[in-house]
Amino acid sequence: MADEQAPYAGPGTSPGTAVGDRPADVDVIVVGAGPAGAAAALAAARAGASVVLLERGPFPGSKNVYGGVIYGRILDAVLPNWWEEVPVERWVVRRSTMVLTETQALTVDFRTQTWAGPPYNGMTAYRADFDSWLAGKATAAGARLVTSTVATGLLRDAAGRVVGVRTDRTDGELRARVVIAADGVNSFLAKESGLLPKADPKHHTLGVKEVLSLPREVIDERFGLRGQEGLDIEMLGNTRGIPGGGFLYTNSDTVSIGAVLALPGLAAAKVRPEEIIADLKAHPAIAPYLRGATVKEYAAHLIPEGGYDHMPALATDGLLIAGDAAGMTLAAGIWLEGVNFAIGSGLVAGRVAAEAAAAGDASKKRLARYRDELEKQFVLADHKRLRGAPEIILSERIQRRYPGLVADLVESLFTVTNPEPKPGALALLRRAAKRNGVSLRELARDGLRIGKVFR
Amino acid sequence: MTNATGDGARGGGPLVVVCLRVTDLRPEVDPLTGVVTRSAHGAGLSAADEAALERALAIARAWSGRVLAVAAGSPIVEGPLRAAAALGAAVLRVAWPPHDEADGHGAAPGAASAVNAASAVDPEPFGPRAAYLADLAGDTRALAEVLVDAIRTVGEPTLVLCGDLSPDRGTGALPAQLAHALGAAQALGLVSLTPTDDGWLLAERRLDGGRRERLRVPTPAVCSAEAAGLRLRRAALPALLAAGDAPVPAARPTRPAVGAVEVVDVRAYRPRARVVPPPAGATPRDRLLALTGALVAHDPPTIIGPTDAGQAADALVAYLVRNGYLTA
Repeated sequence: MADEQAPYAGPGTSPGTAVGDRPADVDVIVVGAGPAGAAAALAAARAGASVVLLERGPFPGSKNVYGGVIYGRILDAVLPNWWEEVPVERWVVRRSTMVLTETQALTVDFRTQTWAGPPYNGMTAYRADFDSWLAGKATAAGARLVTSTVATGLLRDAAGRVVGVRTDRTDGELRARVVIAADGVNSFLAKESGLLPKADPKHHTLGVKEVLSLPREVIDERFGLRGQEGLDIEMLGNTRGIPGGGFLYTNSDTVSIGAVLALPGLAAAKVRPEEIIADLKAHPAIAPYLRGATVKEYAAHLIPEGGYDHMPALATDGLLIAGDAAGMTLAAGIWLEGVNFAIGSGLVAGRVAAEAAAAGDASKKRLARYRDELEKQFVLADHKRLRGAPEIILSERIQRRYPGLVADLVESLFTVTNPEPKPGALALLRRAAKRNGVSLRELARDGLRIGKVFR
Repeated sequence: MTNATGDGARGGGPLVVVCLRVTDLRPEVDPLTGVVTRSAHGAGLSAADEAALERALAIARAWSGRVLAVAAGSPIVEGPLRAAAALGAAVLRVAWPPHDEADGHGAAPGAASAVNAASAVDPEPFGPRAAYLADLAGDTRALAEVLVDAIRTVGEPTLVLCGDLSPDRGTGALPAQLAHALGAAQALGLVSLTPTDDGWLLAERRLDGGRRERLRVPTPAVCSAEAAGLRLRRAALPALLAAGDAPVPAARPTRPAVGAVEVVDVRAYRPRARVVPPPAGATPRDRLLALTGALVAHDPPTIIGPTDAGQAADALVAYLVRNGYLTA
C-alpha cells in the first residue's frame, strides 16, 4: 500500500545492497523498456519466465529521442508480418549520402522500390509509438510492465551476486534470478555492477535533433516521395570541423534533422550543438527542403560509438547488459544502426536469462552464453568485422579534409574552363588534395585502411 | 446498471468518492484546421484530479473511511484507475459515453497506468470520435446522474471530490450537477479541504484581492478543489504489481447520454460578421479617431469596495441601469 514518498528517486551510487536469502519474486527483471529491454522481456516471457519490465518514464518510449531509421529484419524474430501492425511513419526507399562544405554539396542518391513493399528494409518511426508497440508485445507474452519507476540500485546476496533491484518506490526491492540492465547509454546499473567503466568521452557522441513540422504533401513533393515512402539522408561535413555528421529523415508530416557530434571535438570547438543544426538547416542544399517548416520538438542524447573494442563485459553473476548499456550501437560510416542491434541483443539476453532462471544457475559462467550467442549473430559479428570503423570514420582527415577535397574535385570536374583546355582528372585530384592539405600518399593510405575495414 | 467493485469500498466507515477525468493531457491541435488528435500516450489525470485523489485518500484515512475512485470513459481510463487502486482505493469504471465497446477502441489502459501501460497504437483510444465530441459538447447532467447511480451501487457517499475542472471539457459544472443529483452540499473551487473531528469539513476558497474565505461544509458534500498545497503519494511497488493484474470493474449506464441540451451539430465557433457603419470625419485621421474612440474621454473604472455582497450587488445594478442595460 501507499506510504510516504521515497526520499530519493535517482540512481544509486553504492556498490549494491546486500540482502538475505529471500526467494526471488520473479525469474527475470528487465530494467528499461526501450527496444533492448522490451525485446529481452518478450524473449524471456516467451521462454516461459516470469518477467517484470521496469521503465522510468510514464510509458515506453516517452523520451522519444531517437531520430533514425529502424531496420526491421530483426523484427522477423518478434512477429511474422510485423509490418502489418508496426507504428511506422515512412518506409525508407531513398538513401542519400551527402558530402558537404559550407557552400558545396555532393549527393549520392539511391532509390529502390524493393524497399517500398514487404518485407521492407527500414522505416522511420516515433519511438513513443514503436517502443510502446514492442513493449506491448512483451506484456502480451506475459511480462509485467511497471512504469514511472526508477531502478536505483542492485541487490546482491552475501556472495556478491546480483539478485534483484532496488527501486524508488516504497517497499521497492524486487528480487529475481536474473537482472537484465537495458537502461541505456548511461546505464547506472551496469556501472554499479562494475561491468561498465566510467564513460570515456572519446567513445561517445552527442546526437542532437530537431523535429520540424511540414505538411505531408509538401514532404512528398520536396523529397520525391509518395504514400508511405520515406527518405534518409546522411551527411558528412559542414559541422565546423567537429568530427561527426548530419542526418535528415522524413516522417509522415515531420522531418527530423540533426547531427551526431564527437564529444571531445564539440567541447574543444566551444560550439553549442544547436548551432550545428542551424548550419545544416541553412545549407543551400538543405534549406529548400525545409522552407516554411516549424520546430515541433528538439532533443539530445548520448550515443555509444566505441564499437567492438570498447564494449564492456556483458555478464556477471545474476546480471546481463543489453542495448546501448552494452555499447551495441554500430557506427561505421555508411552504416549507422542502433535499434536493430538493441533488439538483437535484447532477444538473446532474454532467452539466455530465462534458460538460466529455469536451470537455477545464474552464474557468470552460465550467463557467458549470452556473449557466445551474440558472437554467432549479426550483433557482435558485425561489430567485430567493423571494429576499426569508428576510429577511421572519426579521423581528422575524413572528417575535416576529405569533404572539401571531394567537393572541390567534383566542382573542378564540372566547371567548364573554356578557352582553357580541360585538365586531366589526376591533375584535378592533385589540385583538390593540395588545396585541402592532403597528400596523395595519405589518400592512398586511407583508401587502403578503409578497404581493409570494409572488405 | 451492473456493477462490481473492489472490496476496499465495501468495508466500514464513511465512503469518500473521487471522480476522475482521464483525458489526453498533451493533445495535438492542428493550428490550421483545429482538429484535435488524442493519443493514448498522453492519457492521464490532470493535476487537479491527482490532487483530488490525494485529498480523498487523506480524508478517508482521517475518518477511518474508504475511498472509491470512479472514472467515466472508454477502457483507457483503467490505467489511472489501476494507479488509484495501487494507492488503496477501490475503483469503478463507468462506460461513457454509452456506445458499443466491442469495437476495441481504447482497449488498453493508457499512459498513467504504472503497470502494463503499453498497447498497440489505437487511432481512437478515447472511443469513437463522434461520441467523444458529442459528449464534450453535451451538458453534464446525464453524466452526473449516471455517476451517482454507479456510486450508489457501492454505498451512499459522505464526500465526493473532484478536480476543479477537467482539461478537455473545462466547464467545472460536473461537481454542481453531482451535488444536485445527490442532494448534497457543495463547495467548489477550493484550495484546501480539511476534515474536522466533528465530521464536518473546513474549506478554503480564493477571493479577489488575495483574500480567502473559510467555509464549514456539512456532509454529505461534493467538493472540487485546485491542485494546491499537497504532495502526492506514490504507490508502493508490491501494490503496483498487484493492481497491474487486477481487473477493473465496469458499470454500464442504463440511462441515455442526453442531457438538458440536445446537441445537433459540433463545429468550430464562428462569430457572425457585424456591420459597422463608416466613421464620420473629413480626414483619415478624424475617421481613425472616430473608429477607435481614441482621445475621447471615458469614465474611469470605479472601485467599489471592500464592501459586503448586498452593497456590491446594488452598485452593479445601479451601473447597469445607468448605462441602459436594465430599466430602473
